[in-house]
Amino acid sequence: MKVEFKARRLDLLRMHLDVIREAFKQAVAPDRVTVEYPRERKKYPANFRGIIVFDKDKCISCFRCAHICPANAIQMTFYEKAWPGIDYTKCIFCHFCVDSCPTGALRSTKIHDIAFATMGEMKLNAVQMLKAPELTREDSFTVEYVVDPQGWRLEKKAEIDELALEQFIIPEKRRVSVCVDPESCLGCRLCVELCPNDAISVDRKANKLNILPEKCTGCGICVRNCPMKVLELKEVK
Amino acid sequence: MQEWQIVLPEKKHKKKFFGNLLEEVIKPAICSHCTACAAICPVKGITAGDRPIDFPNWLKDCVDCGACVKVCPRWDYRPLGGVGSYIEMFSARSKRFLGQDGAMVTEFTATALEEGIVERAIFVARDEEWRTRTVSIIDPEQLKNRKITGTKYSFADVLPAVKEAVLDSKAVAFVGTPCMISALRKMQRSFRKFERVKLAIGLFCTENFYHSQLSEFLAKKGVAMKDVLKTDIKKGKFIVKKADGEITFPVKELDGIIPPGCKVCQDFSAVEADVSVGSVGSEAGFSTVLVRSDIAKRIADAIRARGYAEFRDASLEAVKKLCDYKVKIHPYPPKKEG
Repeated sequence: MKVEFKARRLDLLRMHLDVIREAFKQAVAPDRVTVEYPRERKKYPANFRGIIVFDKDKCISCFRCAHICPANAIQMTFYEKAWPGIDYTKCIFCHFCVDSCPTGALRSTKIHDIAFATMGEMKLNAVQMLKAPELTREDSFTVEYVVDPQGWRLEKKAEIDELALEQFIIPEKRRVSVCVDPESCLGCRLCVELCPNDAISVDRKANKLNILPEKCTGCGICVRNCPMKVLELKEVK
Repeated sequence: MQEWQIVLPEKKHKKKFFGNLLEEVIKPAICSHCTACAAICPVKGITAGDRPIDFPNWLKDCVDCGACVKVCPRWDYRPLGGVGSYIEMFSARSKRFLGQDGAMVTEFTATALEEGIVERAIFVARDEEWRTRTVSIIDPEQLKNRKITGTKYSFADVLPAVKEAVLDSKAVAFVGTPCMISALRKMQRSFRKFERVKLAIGLFCTENFYHSQLSEFLAKKGVAMKDVLKTDIKKGKFIVKKADGEITFPVKELDGIIPPGCKVCQDFSAVEADVSVGSVGSEAGFSTVLVRSDIAKRIADAIRARGYAEFRDASLEAVKKLCDYKVKIHPYPPKKEG
């Protein structure tokens, strides 16, 4: 009984020493892998899916972002043209809208940590989306995980990462709406009504429909809504 | 093409085009309920279903494009009649399928699908209450379903389904009454895209019914629609087959619920179809087939070559008799009563 007790005390002493040694080691040369947010911030890749900003000059009001949104978070509102607004209570950050935008009017930032005071505030309109939301930066380090043959560790640099992303350059592919099957046209003129740029006109006297290629932005609204599917987007040089 | 011409039909009344259709076809009660207008309407405002054709709020919603007038078989109505031209005529019974008589409509569709002549076919299926709905057939196996084959004596929105099919496939077949076939031909003449309908199977037809009126009529006879296994018209008799026996009565009793549009129709044998099929002119269990176009001839030859059906001779006299009878009982313009 006495012998057993002695052995146990020795074990306890050894364990205490282990803990003290680990504490000294971490104080001198730490090897933790957690990020000390907000003092530190992870370096995000260039294709990070964060809060979305909107460029009104590039938008052609094609509604593609609103159509593709699987969470139904995008509402088009009419300003100078119909512009998108994102409801962040619904947004799932899939960025289908960013990918579907034919002109690059929507683009991502690396910002994800925004606090909203109310649910109502989370519904952003197009004007609020023109600039990236303002952040109070508390971080002074950028950290990055490094994976190499020895294992993985956290690399820490005393610099601040830029959260705004560079604009993606979308190759200029100009497409315009063209009637490929005029003999199947119903003559319903829905395309004329729907065109946001008045590029399709109708001559009621001569019964002629006309697409002005210089006004057509290639948004495809007429193509999607034609009841006989006689319109198509064709690339022009 | 960046500039193109649209063709507008001539108006007979100073109204929007649907107003013209209303005055010329729907109000005079010569509308055949073929649903071509409901199919073509670009704003989907024209309603069909189990009620007479209507366009609620047409004064506001009609875009005045004239498409409904262009496709209406009863606009400038000139009744068609007779047996029409045909390449060959025979009586046959499918060895593979069960249908109304010889299941030749089903056999033609299945062979057309197998031969790759059409990509899909629009058929009319029914539910327990014999309400109709359209189905798209892409595999002949689907035709083994007895709710899809066989005649339903009720209107169905076939042409709207045909239009949807035409928009996304290149070769379509469908089964319809003579008025639907005539409407389809008008659609093909006005809008080129409908040339994708490669096979139009016409049915021998004297009249069709609104489902609600037919079920009400049969209820008075003590027949609940959900007990009905098969309906048929043979030799002037309407036959209702149930699990526990048969009820027959003269078709004349149905006179009160025959839609007025059918009473001005003289086309019994679907003269504009690619192939017309019906029971008149054949023995029990066989269908009379009138092959009218080259494409239908190709299918008929394939059926014969593969031995999919049993062939016999059909009686032209019997078909002619019914064709003449329909012209006689459905005069146009209709006789004034009294």
